[in-house]
Amino acid sequence: MTTTPSTPGGASVPPPEPSESVVQDFANLSAALTGFQPSFIRPFLDPVNLSGTFYQFAVAQVGQTMMDALMSAFDALSNQQPALSPQQIADTLLEVSSPTPSAQAQLCQAIIAMWYLGSWYPPPFQTGGLHQVISSQAYTKSLVWNIAQAHPMGFSAFTFGYWSQTPGSLETFGVNTGNGGGQ
Amino acid sequence: MSNGAAPQYDVVIVGAGVSGNLIAKQLGLAGKKVLILEAGLPVPDSREEYMNNFYLALAKTPESPYPALAGRTGTKENPVGKLPDPATLPTPRATVLGLGGPPDVSYLVQAQPWTGTHPDSPAPPQNPPVQPDGGVRGLQFSSTFERNGGGTSWHWLGTSLRELENDIRMYTKYQHAVDWPVTYEEMQPLWARAEKEIGVAASVVQQEPLEVVGLEYPAGYEYPMQPIPTSLVDQAISQAVSGLQVPGTLPDTPGGSDPQLYDVFVTPTPAGRNSEPYDDRRVCAGNTNCIPICPIQAKWDPTVTLGKALDTGNVTVSYQSVAYNVGTTADGKTATQIDYYVWSRDEQGNLHKESHSVTAKIYVLACHAIENAKLLLLSNNWNGIANTSQQVGRNLMDHPLYLTWALAPQPLWGYRGPLATAGIESLRDGEFRKYRASFRMEIGNEGWNFATGDPYTTALDYINGTNNSALNPTNQRLGGTALALKLNNLFTRQFRIACMFDQSPLQQNFVELDVDRETHQPNNIDGLGIPRPRVEYGFDPYTMEGFRMAAYVCTKIYEQMGAQEFTKNGVGGTGDFTYRGVNYHYYGAGHVVGTHRMGPDGGSSVVDASQRSHDIPNLWVVGSGSFPTVCTANPTLTLTALAFKSADSIIAALNS
Amino acid sequence: MKKIATIILLTVVAVAVVVMTPATTTMAPVAEPAIVLSPVIPGDAQFGALPPNATNEQKLLAIQGDFDIYSWNTFIALNWPPGPDGKGDPKKTIGQNGDNNTVWEQYRNVANIFLPGGAKPSYNGPVSVPTQCKASYKPGMKIVSQVGKTPTVLTEFSQPFNTGPLIDQNGNYTRYEILVNKPMFDYILQNTLYSKAGQKVFSGAVKFPCGVLNGPEGAIMVKAAWKVIDPADKARFHTQTVLVYNPASQNPKYPASCSTKLMGLVGFHVGHKTNSASQWLWSTFEHVDNAPAEADVASGKLKAKYNYYNPQCSAANCPPNQVPPRPWDPTKVSSFHSQVVRMNMFKGNEFAFTSAAQRNADALKLLLGVSSSSVWQNYELISTMWPTNTGQCQASAGDPLGTPAPTFLANTTLETYIQGMVPNVSSNCIECHNNATMTTPVASDFTYVLQRAQ
Repeated sequence: MTTTPSTPGGASVPPPEPSESVVQDFANLSAALTGFQPSFIRPFLDPVNLSGTFYQFAVAQVGQTMMDALMSAFDALSNQQPALSPQQIADTLLEVSSPTPSAQAQLCQAIIAMWYLGSWYPPPFQTGGLHQVISSQAYTKSLVWNIAQAHPMGFSAFTFGYWSQTPGSLETFGVNTGNGGGQ
Repeated sequence: MSNGAAPQYDVVIVGAGVSGNLIAKQLGLAGKKVLILEAGLPVPDSREEYMNNFYLALAKTPESPYPALAGRTGTKENPVGKLPDPATLPTPRATVLGLGGPPDVSYLVQAQPWTGTHPDSPAPPQNPPVQPDGGVRGLQFSSTFERNGGGTSWHWLGTSLRELENDIRMYTKYQHAVDWPVTYEEMQPLWARAEKEIGVAASVVQQEPLEVVGLEYPAGYEYPMQPIPTSLVDQAISQAVSGLQVPGTLPDTPGGSDPQLYDVFVTPTPAGRNSEPYDDRRVCAGNTNCIPICPIQAKWDPTVTLGKALDTGNVTVSYQSVAYNVGTTADGKTATQIDYYVWSRDEQGNLHKESHSVTAKIYVLACHAIENAKLLLLSNNWNGIANTSQQVGRNLMDHPLYLTWALAPQPLWGYRGPLATAGIESLRDGEFRKYRASFRMEIGNEGWNFATGDPYTTALDYINGTNNSALNPTNQRLGGTALALKLNNLFTRQFRIACMFDQSPLQQNFVELDVDRETHQPNNIDGLGIPRPRVEYGFDPYTMEGFRMAAYVCTKIYEQMGAQEFTKNGVGGTGDFTYRGVNYHYYGAGHVVGTHRMGPDGGSSVVDASQRSHDIPNLWVVGSGSFPTVCTANPTLTLTALAFKSADSIIAALNS
Repeated sequence: MKKIATIILLTVVAVAVVVMTPATTTMAPVAEPAIVLSPVIPGDAQFGALPPNATNEQKLLAIQGDFDIYSWNTFIALNWPPGPDGKGDPKKTIGQNGDNNTVWEQYRNVANIFLPGGAKPSYNGPVSVPTQCKASYKPGMKIVSQVGKTPTVLTEFSQPFNTGPLIDQNGNYTRYEILVNKPMFDYILQNTLYSKAGQKVFSGAVKFPCGVLNGPEGAIMVKAAWKVIDPADKARFHTQTVLVYNPASQNPKYPASCSTKLMGLVGFHVGHKTNSASQWLWSTFEHVDNAPAEADVASGKLKAKYNYYNPQCSAANCPPNQVPPRPWDPTKVSSFHSQVVRMNMFKGNEFAFTSAAQRNADALKLLLGVSSSSVWQNYELISTMWPTNTGQCQASAGDPLGTPAPTFLANTTLETYIQGMVPNVSSNCIECHNNATMTTPVASDFTYVLQRAQ
């Protein structure tokens, strides 16, 4: 556990800009936790850069030490042989079978919530954390709506009458449906 | 005017909402000089600020995009701050987040919920007890409104249904409630004008089946725009209810029975929403956000009409101008001026007010059913004006809304399209209206967003292992693809139906000034020192019998679909009540009605069919507050139609 | 979305790979993209090599640079002096005599495409001259009437979604015109999309042709903003003597009128549908004197004079970017003057600013090399909006907006009042044009012009 003070909104003490490899690693972790395709979470060209935004935001909330520990755990699982599926990695990090998830697992839950809901839901271990919408783009790109094969309320990229037609497949909404983790 | 000077304006209008802006536009086009006093902030140059407020709001309630004028909460800047105290605000208004709260968060002063968690009420939570007459009292009035340029219709849904013939002649036809002082024939051309102004998308042919409930159009009438396609949710319900019939009343309905069977069928809903480019505005892109704000203004809102009013060059708006008195001659029969505060905040956030007066030949109050009543009651030193009938503030009604929700057996993909595109209108009229409230049924396209706060609630349930949605009974915690697939399976099957009732007008449902009757001192005031509205509200058995029927019909529909119903009715919370041993929950529909009812004479009503005061011939009091009954259609189309009628009568009065 | 990501690799990276490794291909070596003085309109952007192991920011900067080079090459070719066939005359050079007539002004103005009664238009036929203008009209003269970007079909007076007119420091209304090139015109003609009746029977999706690199240009539309100028300022603008036509209006009420004005070009949008952009490429240029940037106002580094900003007026007295009060009457000189400030809409997308600054400097050198009196030296690229995640041209994209870069972009003369960073409402060319339809609700492939059909 870290003692880094959380800065509401991550505004007052912005952590240093993370390197490309750190952001990519965080994106890979996020893809495994959320069940989305890595190339959807971190596209080849990413002008919105939510991976960078969320990484920095989470670090500001829980501290660099804790985030580094999570990334190390993720890297270790990713490099394990024989290779684990993204679902196995997610289940391990989230400790899904445990009724009392560790602080690190709680952080993983908060990371899923960031991507799904565009908001910071302070995990139980965090003191003084504030529940907040991270940014307008965090909302308009929040993934829970993709899971519904829809769009965030108030931000539709579809055109008139789409609602009378069946939506595209879940894959076209970025969900990684094909790694055997589904039930 | 009292000092003999010529009036400054032909007409002063209080409130820049639907009615006020439309009347201003019509008067401006006729060359009349008009001032609008708008209590709140100006219509912004773009929707950027409002949309940003919405995106960053944690609770995306109807009020969330609109400025609270101080201490906004649920934002990134102030995520968990206390709701602003209405006593500190220049134009506080009823908000969803403030509902059921004490006066330091709720603008409307009203009964607290019957809850055991309330410090003054240590008993276990319970619903209000049944009165000797079979009704319940002490309910919270749950509709909210806005006090900003453009008014509450910033967040209207766009539903533009016409009333039925029997809606406006309830007493003659069913010996219940009262008749409207206008005929169906008289309303037809007014509705057509309103449909053109708003830009309503619908098809007369598609509405034709509703002849069974008396909906008729003049020969050859066509709506301004082609209809909006129905959603997959609409289509699924429409197929499922094919052949379904329900009786007019359930067994043991008090007062009598209507055993006739009525067909249940779905029709597309006429909507003030662009199905083609109209009036310089874009086509609907299905942002699923009509409430609280359409990001692209594909839906008509009163700022459209306000722009046209200002284009006439004859209309001026004074913002941040809160009317607090309508001056009258000593006999109370002529309005002479309007007194208002112009408020501002300095850099430290302190509120300042300056008192002003303005004169005109004719005055129009158009500032919302509750605010109109409040302003009439504030006038004459808080003794009230235009109130020979003693009906000002009485008969407060809503379209109390009963919400039911279910999971379909197959995906029907909600969360897509305008918030509602179709409904069941086929049960809006029948002999049963002698015995119970009629209702319309609105099909929602936003999954369980209204019902449970989804997709948030269920997503968090499966992330955190909770069960607030009732969809995670084993408190599973999931991640990765398993989480995404589980949620996809649930979200794509969620849907809901909302039923809105033609609630009875009751004398004991009222809005009055929150002033101590004996000392004449205010109890709760706003930031300008103006007494706030106090509300009393309840249901009669007639209204609640409508709920019982609605619950029955919804359940029938869900059974017919093979859908699993999840409707939850609580105890002890805002909007909870018990009828015949069954718990129900109602929401406000934002359709606030009845507080200055229109009628044929000044003995029983406040205004006439032109919304002109019976007592004060140069005063018009307009808006849904004039509706004698709330009827079965959403009110905006009809109140727009009535505003045309009022504008005509004002122009005639000025020209005579 | 995996497929989409693959497509972007095809359209952007694959080209880049070809360019950077000519030895591996049989194609002739292609030079790195550069701004050139050429009358040839680029059919698409050309992509240079990406730096090895580039970060996201570096990749975006590099590709933004390629698109900005494309934009400048497009600007140069469109503003090239036309030959008799309307195309750029290779014997002449842009700005060689200071100012010149331009290629894009030979395009068809939409007022002459969407004709009363849905009549069939022609590309080079006579233009319709309003009665009030007939006395002053000489063949080839420009007629402008719009006071907003997207006029109502019938009155030709309204604003893009009622956002308001732009009024210069002399109280004159800014005027707009929209023109389309031959490929876009031909598509409209062939599919009878010039009339309401034709649109009604049109089935399928509207799909304008896509430009091809080193090949034919795709559908191009140009939106130009013009202001009335003092003859003394003529040397700083591309100018035209223009017939300014105000159709009669009922509300606000004024009769039809027409007057001759010397006008200068102040804003220039080019939308071009290309193979690498099924959401179109959106290049936007402005006159350098239009308005100060937010940072200029903060630092006080202001020019003596702007087209749309009074440096002598305080922010309290002249709050920036306010919509003029109604009624909006373009027949009168307004007492309200727009106080326009260019807001920084590139926060988090700083590559857009960096890239435009560099290409503007490169272009300026070239234009000054032609003539030190070239009026074109007074125009600057604000940015190019491009889809980072496009589908192949004409394929239906799973990401309809293609995740544009930069995320927001405005021209202060064309999107004055929506220069924020709020999704779905602040200026974003692709997002807004994605909502465009014909007179029916059918999507019109990112152009609003089809709404004008009668």
